[in-house]
Amino acid sequence: MIVAGIEPRAEMVHWFFATGILALGLLFLTETVVGPEVWGRRPWRRYLWPGLLFALGVFMWPVMALYTNSMIHMVAHGSWAQVLMLSGAAELGVAKGKLHSQYWRLTVAAAMLVSGTAFLVHEQNSWFFARAAFLHHVLGWTLIGASVFPITQAFRPRSIVAATGFACTFLVIAVFLYCDRDAAPVLGHFSQYAGVPHR
Amino acid sequence: MKRALLLVIAVALVAPASAFAHASLLKETPGFKQRLATSPRQVVLQFDQTVNALPKAIQVFTLQGKNVAGTPRAFTSARELVAPLPKLPKGPYTVRWQALSNDGHIVSGVYTFGVGVPAPPVTDAVGAQGPTRTEDIVRWIYFLGLALSVGGIGFRLLIARGPLPKRAQRRFFWVTGAGIVIVLEAGIVGFLLRGEDFLQLPFSRFLYGDLEPLTSGTRYGQTFVIMELGFALVSALIYLAWLTDRNAFLWASFVLGLAFVSGLSLSGHSAADARHSWLSELADYVHLSAATLWVGGLVQLAVVVWPAWPDGRRTAFLRFSRLATVLIALILAAGTYLSVLRLPHLHDLWTTGYGHVLLVKLGLVALALTWGAAHHFIAVPRIEKPGVMGVLGRTLVAESAVAMSVLLLAAILTDSKPPPQPVKPPPVAAVSRR
Repeated sequence: MIVAGIEPRAEMVHWFFATGILALGLLFLTETVVGPEVWGRRPWRRYLWPGLLFALGVFMWPVMALYTNSMIHMVAHGSWAQVLMLSGAAELGVAKGKLHSQYWRLTVAAAMLVSGTAFLVHEQNSWFFARAAFLHHVLGWTLIGASVFPITQAFRPRSIVAATGFACTFLVIAVFLYCDRDAAPVLGHFSQYAGVPHR
Repeated sequence: MKRALLLVIAVALVAPASAFAHASLLKETPGFKQRLATSPRQVVLQFDQTVNALPKAIQVFTLQGKNVAGTPRAFTSARELVAPLPKLPKGPYTVRWQALSNDGHIVSGVYTFGVGVPAPPVTDAVGAQGPTRTEDIVRWIYFLGLALSVGGIGFRLLIARGPLPKRAQRRFFWVTGAGIVIVLEAGIVGFLLRGEDFLQLPFSRFLYGDLEPLTSGTRYGQTFVIMELGFALVSALIYLAWLTDRNAFLWASFVLGLAFVSGLSLSGHSAADARHSWLSELADYVHLSAATLWVGGLVQLAVVVWPAWPDGRRTAFLRFSRLATVLIALILAAGTYLSVLRLPHLHDLWTTGYGHVLLVKLGLVALALTWGAAHHFIAVPRIEKPGVMGVLGRTLVAESAVAMSVLLLAAILTDSKPPPQPVKPPPVAAVSRR
């Protein structure tokens, strides 16, 4: 179709967001390893990951607007953009001291639940159709399952297990996103009906 | 446990799975919006996977709604659907296609082409009904969102200048934040409703219907993309203004918001009608921007200033009264020009549907103007008297409600087609040459 000329290449978009998610995961992990007191000694560090989360949400909007293959894709990309912005905004508000309740961490949990559901709903193919389909299902269920970590953090902010699980979830998601293209020369399509690699 | 998990993943990765997939259209011939010099012999749709032909897999409609396509066939090896065509006379054509994927799901789409004439946009495809009442409501909500966000920020920067009490500041950000979220959501819903109209599919099939012809092939779709991106940026700036308490972000969001409002003028009647010009687009933009600032300001007065900033009521009311006079003058001037442009005859006001809606709108505008004039000439001179402020608060809410009703009629007018312009007779010299 005509619009193909202006679409960003799908794998580039996935790799861009994978890099952002990887950076997020590394920041979470570092904070967990050194502890929140040491992490908070430099005030700017408190804004690092919430700012990145918010920025990723802003950058998701072009994906929503330019990938209009179907209604379900628009809704999925739009919901990712909004929940990323919302959770980043809430965490930035906490870091700045504008918001005070520890339960704002629940916005991240809500974001993970919505994102996971969007992954599952917008993937029209079954698990084993192609690598992209398989990874979409894995991503969806990982996000939904791992939302237990920020929920735990909202009620037990000093839980090391929850913090570590939360950080590792983002690292795993980053790896999945890097792999999530059928054009990559690994495994390829699973199904003979999937046609030539096109996504 | 770990071994079992690894085993499951390994099996999942290597097992030759059964095929379940929706097909995607890769290429179509004739192409979307293509203007052909001669009649094509067939329509060829190429997919990314094998598909099966349904009884009406490819239909090619003339302007009169007659299907001229022959029996479609699927060529499995080439992943193509092909339908033969008779020799097509000059004119626009609409292709409606559907294919059965290997998973049993049906994928569908629509596109247009022209033989000897330009292809129409997909929104004018044969079968499309045009905007519905639901679209009118969504557009109204979109206008309200614009007024709450862009108009609200304008009020904060131009009228309620300087620091606000904490409660008023919080209310201001709640109102503008809600406004910008409404703009983003209503924009998406409006786009999808337009897509649903041209695709003409049941909901389950619409989920995977091809929307690209709407985005890439229409002014409306292109404007949608730009405006969604613009207002997403505006939402980020509003948030940063709240987070940092810096007015610079509010100014940036106001300027950008006002700029992106122009998208409506660049994709509506003023840009698409036969008599459109840069002046009609400018008039439409002025009309819409002034109305946005007026309604947004009224809401801010009624919802933020009156309940949460008692000390600022008098100043804010007097300042807004002055600005509102200018805004109303702009709305009236631009509105009158556009009405004259779109209604070629005076009797169109009472003989056409567009004219009827315009008449109701004019009635409501007159009511709002009378209300505003009462505020200006009766309330302002007595503003110091006890009890006037309390009454003013209530009348401001009522005036805001009237202004919002005007926006509803504006939304209906935007979705309605003005009466056709009279066709000019050809010059005498041209007739005599024939």
